[in-house]
This record gives sequence, structure tokens and C-alpha cells, in this order.
Amino acid sequence: MVMTGLLALPVRAQDAPISNICTLALAGRVADHESGVVLPGATARLVETGEVSAADPYGNYHFHVCAGIYHLEVSFVGFRSETAEVRVTSSVVRNFQLHPDAVQLQGAVVRGHAPPPPATQATATLTGADLAATRGQTLGEALLKVSGVSAIQTGPNVFKPMIHGLHSNRVALLNNGVRQEGQQWGQDHGPEIDPFVASQLTVVKGAAGVRYGADAIGGVVLVQPAALPDSAGTTGEVHAVGASNNGLGALSATVQGSPAGLSSLAWRAQGTVRRAGLSRTPDYWISSSGLAEYNYSAAVGWQRERWGVEAFVSQYNAQLGLYPVPENWNVTARQGTVAPLPATFSYALDRPYQQIQHTLFKLNSFYKLNGWGGRLNLTLAQQADRRGEYDKYRPRNDNVAQRNLPELDYRNQTSTADLRWEPHSHGDFSGELGLSGTYQDNTYRPGSRYFIPYFTNAGGGAYALGHWRPGLWLLEAGLRLDRRYLETRRPSRASGSFAVVRESFAFTTPSLSAGVARDLGPHVTLRADASLLQRPPAANERASQGVHNGIYEEGYDITRPPGTPGLGPETARSAAFSMSWHDHPRLNGELTVYQTHIQNYIFQTPIPPVLDIRGLFPSYRYQQTDARFHGLDLLVAYRVARPLTLGAKAATVVERDLRRDDYLILAPADRLEGWLRYEAEGARNAPRRVRGFYAQLGAQGVRRQTRVPLDNNERDYLAPPPGYWLLGAEIGGTLQLGPRTPLEISLTGTNLLDNTYRDYLNRYRYFLDEVGRNVTLRLRVPLAFGTSKN
Amino acid sequence: MTIFQSRFRLAALLLALPLTFSACKKDKDPEPEDDNEQITTVTYVLTPTTAGAPTATFTWRDIDGAGGNAPTITSTNLRANTTYTGAITLSDETKNPMADVTKEVAEESDEHLFIYQSTPPSLLTITRTDLDKNNLQIGLATRVVTNAAGNGTLKITLRHQPGSKTGSETAGDVDVEVTFPVTVQ
Repeated sequence: MVMTGLLALPVRAQDAPISNICTLALAGRVADHESGVVLPGATARLVETGEVSAADPYGNYHFHVCAGIYHLEVSFVGFRSETAEVRVTSSVVRNFQLHPDAVQLQGAVVRGHAPPPPATQATATLTGADLAATRGQTLGEALLKVSGVSAIQTGPNVFKPMIHGLHSNRVALLNNGVRQEGQQWGQDHGPEIDPFVASQLTVVKGAAGVRYGADAIGGVVLVQPAALPDSAGTTGEVHAVGASNNGLGALSATVQGSPAGLSSLAWRAQGTVRRAGLSRTPDYWISSSGLAEYNYSAAVGWQRERWGVEAFVSQYNAQLGLYPVPENWNVTARQGTVAPLPATFSYALDRPYQQIQHTLFKLNSFYKLNGWGGRLNLTLAQQADRRGEYDKYRPRNDNVAQRNLPELDYRNQTSTADLRWEPHSHGDFSGELGLSGTYQDNTYRPGSRYFIPYFTNAGGGAYALGHWRPGLWLLEAGLRLDRRYLETRRPSRASGSFAVVRESFAFTTPSLSAGVARDLGPHVTLRADASLLQRPPAANERASQGVHNGIYEEGYDITRPPGTPGLGPETARSAAFSMSWHDHPRLNGELTVYQTHIQNYIFQTPIPPVLDIRGLFPSYRYQQTDARFHGLDLLVAYRVARPLTLGAKAATVVERDLRRDDYLILAPADRLEGWLRYEAEGARNAPRRVRGFYAQLGAQGVRRQTRVPLDNNERDYLAPPPGYWLLGAEIGGTLQLGPRTPLEISLTGTNLLDNTYRDYLNRYRYFLDEVGRNVTLRLRVPLAFGTSKN
Repeated sequence: MTIFQSRFRLAALLLALPLTFSACKKDKDPEPEDDNEQITTVTYVLTPTTAGAPTATFTWRDIDGAGGNAPTITSTNLRANTTYTGAITLSDETKNPMADVTKEVAEESDEHLFIYQSTPPSLLTITRTDLDKNNLQIGLATRVVTNAAGNGTLKITLRHQPGSKTGSETAGDVDVEVTFPVTVQ
């Protein structure tokens, strides 16, 4: 970009009697004049040079120019373009506030209106090339690209995202704007989401409970599809992924369009098939680790000037193989190593495995009110999650075995409604008000085994968020109040015969947040926020019980000492500070430091093995304590020479149990990643066969977790595994197959040295190595129908 | 404008539909887990082959399943230098009527193998005395010979070996693994 600026020096700029330094920054923020909402994707064009900059997720555009006078044209679909004359003598910040263009809306419509993530918190976005490099992986695995995000693994196929050391009930997953339900059942459940639906994955690192609900103590993951097309025609894209380690093959196709004569209507259909055989560690095949996944989604939208409706339906179907947990591994693991089960490569799926179906139906509508009224947005969603878990044991009874039903068979139905009102901004002030309601019904198939109780969960919440933008500052404050009822019904034979224990709970929980963001010039943004959140305990933390996949787990309320109260809500007080330097030609990155104090923190900890008819089982129980988390995430990318970038990523978190004055168990280990990336700079408009060639070599190191409880030897079944480091590489580019058919192609290798290692956060680390070398080929072809391809 | 508004109202009405689905759901209660094949009780009865010695019974019982109340394990003392005939029964007391798992094991005896291990090994000598249709031992019926007086344990394991029963004591999965204290006096 700097290069082109130099080549196309404007005549008028040279007239200016100022020094000819051509690295002066011209930048600013583009926002909607009516609502004050920033406009990511808005286009800023320098009339003199023809240079174009698209606004980033915070609405910022920027150029590097020589001193002089420029005409800057800023445009965005649905808004009236504005042109301004800017005199550049030193770095200049020029903000734009665009007016909605009613006339233009007839032809080209801005569709989809997802609220932007809070601007005062550290957020990371995976999109474009970063997202493309994760295609074919599960959502939890893809999110590992974000510094500060780790995952609780269950073998090679199940990844549950963990943000700043917090997970499960403390990370809200929003699948296309709808909170994903069913995730609360356990740590061995990966998100039931097809990442191919998303054109962008956003991680809000830190408590964001005011907008997203009391669960978002650790953070939020937003899985965001692209907006429906706004121009007539039919387009699409096809992704194909193949991986060497487990013979993975994934194919995903999207078709979308808007009929020529009916510009209000737009639609999209998408489908994914993913199959894999057994994964391989450097030394052996991992028994029963295959997977099969079939997903689809469809959306149709009707949008007019003042109102719009969009319907979205998606279904995720998966069979995920689980390693058959060896018997008595807890005893054997302490004495030495547990030998792996013999296996040979196959795509066949056999017990044990998880069979999951998640269906989401969502209706979203907006209405623009008259005058100062602003905009109303209503989202209604219905989702059903069915999760069957097949034990490794086949039923003895032939009649039962023939029906081939899962031994654990959870069912969850959730209805949610969210109403959001964004009044027009008044001067520097803007804000939003929201109401949300949830009704959830959770059961299991009659006759199947109890693990999570029957429960109904009803909740309602109201929140208000306000923004004030005096000058370069952005101040945000929010308040939320939730009321949640939980009724659990669980079977018990404690008295000798079958009985149902009914318990009900109700909690009112407040959330408060305050944040500030300040731009220091066009390249540096400082953010700070503080919040107070309260989260009532979930049903599984209270009343789960049973042996599942070789592990006994129980909720706190099941065997709490008589006379003591059940679990109470946990209260989180957190503060975070982040500094990001962005859009700079050389140095970009982000540093986040944070501290979260959670009073009555609910966590799972190993307890002495429970004696069952099959022997002693490794056992875990939910406990409550006071905890403190503090840590740091760092991302730095430095362009050493024009085509070469050096990058580093680091994350560390310290988790303390304040009541015992000790470390908490199962905290993510420190990690550090470094890479060198080469990006070829192709001359613009050059008719090349290959464009955008890049190559990257990187290494990732993970330390042994040494911050473990003092009595870890008695508590954990095995000491944390040693640290490890892995070598990775990637090359890719775009192959021009025809004038309009670019083929994006990339080849990625992970664990290239085929190191044998184990990760502390893998629940199967006691008896299973991590996967070995894997080489993945990824292809993407955009499609345009009805246009000549020549 | 009025057209827009009436359309909006219609749309809002349509949007409210999904809420009505869940609104009319009735509260249900969990039911006994009929499909779930549990073994709650293991009883090992030793009848002396020579008159005079009393019958000994070993019982392992956990009717509320894993966790909760701990299993109750009882055993009666054995007489030294005596030969007993052993019979093992497995049952599921959570079912009504009580399910006889021994019968199921007997019907699929070519897929099951009981393993009896005494610690120290010199305490008891246990021999499986029954055979399946492939002439492989099962262990539903046993002969137990006590030696000198002493204390120790008896571990009884039932291995389910569908398609893999060859007489090996390590193949297959564990259906039962219980340990009793043993006193020979």
C-alpha cells in the first residue's frame, strides 16, 4: 500500500511546500450518523491516488500518504457517500458520520445487523486467511489460533473452548446470534456447531455479561455467518479439505443469491460433509477415533426499507468416536504407562461414540421506528439438542442390544426471545436496551441411564448499555438484571427404592460493567474495562451423577454434607486492560492483562476413586471455592522486511484457590508460539497464474504445568505431562484457473517432527498420546452462476 | 406505510409461534432406567462338601449405583482345609421384579468368563468346574479348597468376551470386579 502511494504521487500533493515524507498517517473512524454504530467494511478512497482502505471491525480506515491536500471519499452500502478535503501536514485523524441513504436502500440493502462486540474489551477475530487456515477443524480447535484461548480436549475429536482459563458454563457460545444450549452438560462435549457456517469467528476475551447474559464470565465466542447477499445474482463457494493423519475429508458448499426482479429477497443454502478415520499418534493408531459429520443450514431473508425478516435453520449431525477408556487406568497410570489398545486404520465407527444432533431454528426481524425511535430488533429461536452416548459395552440382553440405543440419551429443548432497542444517538450519546427470555426443558430418554437430571430452566433478563463518545474517548457503561428459576428432578435410590428428588432454585443476579477506549493516534488503541457478574449454578454442577466413559462424576448437591446449603451463585469481579497497535505497516499486535476474582467459584476436581461393581473409578466432583485468575495474552507481528513478517503469540494464566491458598487444578499451561511468514507482493493487475503466494514456518512451545495444588500427587492420577514443542509450516496462494475462477489452495503441516507428547488439558492424557504429524490440503473455489466464465 | 405496518404485525405474529411449542410442554418425571443393565448384587455361596462345616456366603451389594451410599460387602468365615462347592449369582435389584443376571450370563456362557483370584494365592485354591459349548471354562460353578488358616482377599472378575473368548483371562471388558475380605480359620 505504501508502495502504490509512492508510485502514484499526486500532482497536487507535490505542490504542497512540505517535506516529502510519505509515511504520514491519514486515518479515522466511520460511523452511522443516526445510531453512532461504527461501520466495519465502509470504504475510504483517496481520489488523488485511487488508494482504497476498508474499515476494520472498529470502523477505522487508514492510509499512509505524503504531505499534501487530498480528497477523501467515504462510502458504505445503504449510506450517502461523503467527500472531504483533508490537508495533511502531519498525521491526521478525520472521522466520518454517514447518513443512511433511503433511496439507495431500494437497490442495495445492508442485510444482517449483528451488534458489534463491545469496543472496550479485547476481542480477537478469525476471518479471511486466518479462518481459511482452520477449515476442516472443529470449532474448538479453530479457536486455538487466538492467543488466550485453549481447549479442554477429550481425545483427538472433542475440543471445548477455554478463554483465560474459564470454560463450559462460563463461556457463552453464540451461534448466529443465538446462545448455543446443550453445552452445559459436560466437559467432554465439543460445541455442536459447523464452523463452515461462519465467515467470521469472534472471541470476546473477558467478562461480557451485560449484553450476553450472566454466563459470559470467561468470554464469548461469536460464530457469525456473512450477511445475506445484497445484489442480484447467484454465487457460491466450495471448500474441500483433506488431511493425512486421520484420512479426513471435508467438503462444504454454499450457494446464495437474490432474484433479479425481487431485490428484497435473499437466500442461502449450505451443507457440509466431514469424515475421518482413526487418528494416529507417532507410535500407534488411536482406537475408535473416527468421525462422521453431516451438517446443513439455510437462510432466507426479506428486507425492505424499514423492516426486514430473516429465517435461519441449521442442523448439525455428528458421530464422534471416543477412545475406549482402559479399565483401571487410574491404578495403572500411577504405576507406569497404560498400554494403548491395538487398532488399525479404518473409517468404521464403533462403540464408544457420541451421536449428536443439534437443530436450530431462528427468526430475526428488525423495524425502524419513526423519528428518534431508532431501531427495534427481535430474535426468536428454538433449538433442540440430542446427544446420545454409546458405552463401549454392548448390552447383554439381545433385545436391548438389537435396538442399539445409546446408554446416555440427553434431550434439550430451548426457546429464546431477545428484543433489542437501539434509539437514535443524540450527539455523542448512544445506547441500547434489551430484554431476553429463555425457557429450557431438559430430559433424557425414558429407560436410559441418568447422568444429568431432568430440569426446567426459565429465565428473564433486562439490560441497558450506554455509550458516550467525547472526542477520542469512548466510554461505555452497562447494567443487567437476570432472574432465573431452575427446577431439577432426579432419580435416587438412596433410600433403597426408586424415588424422584425434586429441587427448585431461584436467583436474581445483577451484572454491571464499565469500560473505556481511547485511540492514541491511528495505530494505537487502549481499552480498559471492569465488571461485576453473578452466575447461578447450572443443573449439571448441582445434580449430575454417574459413571460415564470410565469416569465417575457428581454434582455438588448430590452428596453434600447434611445440613449444609447447596451451591450458591458465583460472583465474578474482573478487570482487564488491553493495548492494541493496528493498521501499522510494520508493527501490529495486542497485549491484554486481566484479573478475575470469583467468589464461590464452581469447579470440577478429582476425588478419591468411587467403588462401583466394575471396580474403582476415577472420580470428579464439583466444588466451590474462592478463586483468582490473572494472566496475560500477547500477540505481536513485526514486518522485518517487505515480504517477511515475524510473529509471536504468548499466553499465561495463574489460577489460585484463595480458600486453600493454593493453585487450582487443571489450569492451562503457559504457551509461546513464534513464526516467520513470507508474503509475495504481486504487482497489481498483473495477469499472473499464481497470486498471493505465502509461506510460513512456525513453532509452538508449551511448558509443563508446574502450578498445581500442593497435594496434586494424591489428587490427580498423574503428574502434569512434560512440556513439548511442535513445528508447523504452511504454504498457499491463489491459482487463477480461469479469468473468474480463482482457486485458493494451501498446504499446512502440523507436528512436522512427529513428536510424541501429551497435553495437560486433555482428559485422556493419562493413557493416550496426542496426534502425530498431519498434513492438510485446503481448497476453496468461489462460484458465480449465470455469468459467462469465458 | 400502513401496508408495511400490517405486514410487520403479521411477521411478529409468525415470529411468536416457536414460543408456543415449549409453552404447552408438561412436566415429566424421570422413570426407572429399564434399559440400563446394572448388576447391583453379587452373591457367592460356598457349600462344604463334607458335613460339619457351615455354609459361607459372600455378598457385594450396591443398590443405589455408583456413588451415593457405599456398597455393603459382607463375608462369612471359612474353615481351614475344607473343600467347598461354589455358586455365584448376579442380580439387578433396581428392576421390579429383580432381574436375574446369572441366567443371562449362563445363556451367553460362551462369551463370559469368571476369574477368581485369592490374595495371598495360597489362601484358597479355586477351580472352575463348568464348561461352555466350546469346552471352555465359565466359572458359574466352582470348587474351592481352603488351606491353612489366614486372612486375605478374594477378587472375582467377570469378563465379557463376545467373539474373543479363548480361555484368556485378559480379553474383553470387565462386567464385574468385586473384592471380598476372606478369613480362613
